[in-house]
Amino acid sequence: MRMLRLLRRQRALLNCAPISQDRLADRTMRAAVSRADDSDEFVNQQSFDRAVAALVRLIPIPPETAEWFSERDLVVGSKWTWKKMARNPAVLAISIAVVVIAGVSVFQVLSRLNDFPGSATARKLLTVAASTRPVMLDPVSTEAGTLSDLFFMKHGLEHYDVPTEFADFRTIGCRVFEDEESRRIAQIWLAEKRMQLFLFPAERNAKTGAVLPFPGWRYVHQEGWTGAVTERSGVCFMATVRGPEKDLEPYLSKATGK
Amino acid sequence: MLGDSSKAQEVFHTTLREAANRAAQGELPKESFWLFRDARWRCLEATKTDLQPEALKLDEHDVTPQAAAQIEQLKPTQLAVWISGAPDPQRTALALFYLDEFDYNEILDLAELKLSELSRFLARGRRQLQAWLDAKHPEQGTV
Repeated sequence: MRMLRLLRRQRALLNCAPISQDRLADRTMRAAVSRADDSDEFVNQQSFDRAVAALVRLIPIPPETAEWFSERDLVVGSKWTWKKMARNPAVLAISIAVVVIAGVSVFQVLSRLNDFPGSATARKLLTVAASTRPVMLDPVSTEAGTLSDLFFMKHGLEHYDVPTEFADFRTIGCRVFEDEESRRIAQIWLAEKRMQLFLFPAERNAKTGAVLPFPGWRYVHQEGWTGAVTERSGVCFMATVRGPEKDLEPYLSKATGK
Repeated sequence: MLGDSSKAQEVFHTTLREAANRAAQGELPKESFWLFRDARWRCLEATKTDLQPEALKLDEHDVTPQAAAQIEQLKPTQLAVWISGAPDPQRTALALFYLDEFDYNEILDLAELKLSELSRFLARGRRQLQAWLDAKHPEQGTV
């Protein structure tokens, strides 16, 4: 039944087959014509139509009317334009897909540009900072800079030093814990803007074991939190704050000034 | 469509004048081919009061390979009169198709026809024209 309907439609299309080849824009019509191209019946029909069309072109047009058509196209609207092409659903769908792919690629390139050795750990620690409550830390009220000795004496952590730019701030508490890769992380809570500081082992080359250094301060962002990370003596230090980069910038520029 | 050049000219100028008026008032329709559709309805209006052809069952013959040669012997005005004598919407279908300015989708839109109807009108038109050609030039036909 479906076959019969298809054949009937194909027959209908062939009866309407265009006289000029340049009107074969429609895909279904092109397919129907290419299937019937060799049949005698269709060849007869085409030569019949061409002869009639040629005669139609010779039908005299009154001069007053003919002058309207001099050097003008009879049907301007049927030509392809960029606007018409842009409205084509296939072109539209492809364009949207290309834009989405390009957007994702640009996003990935941009996020890679901001990456540095240890940035993945830093982002995880931002999540930890967001979920930490003061009661989870051992209460310690002292200057942050003095905790280096505590980390070394109590936990055997070497070079877990708080940089001088944060060393003078009062602490509320601190703790040392292990992450899922059994790396030991030191966490300090400051009274200053409820900032949290993290010290963790810097990333190392998997083959040589050498520390992968990076210069200066680098920013990371996660869930509304911002971290400024630096690496010294194989240990990364990160100062975190809930808010944008500009909340941390004064502390770092003060350090640069020093 | 009309088989009469003076009537065709009148319809043409009326259509253009009306279009110019609508353009001046900023009321040009946004749909494509509205001018052609307008002209078609004016043609049909113009022939309403004319003598109408009798509703005869015309002979129909299969299109032959000699048809092109038979058509070449026709005068253009004879063909114009033959097409204008066809009942509408077959007349519109034949006129728009053999004008060779529109593809079939545009003709369907313009003449407000379905594909099956356009196909039927064109196929019947060819067969009727072939029968007429065979009657006019029997020495070249196959019948």
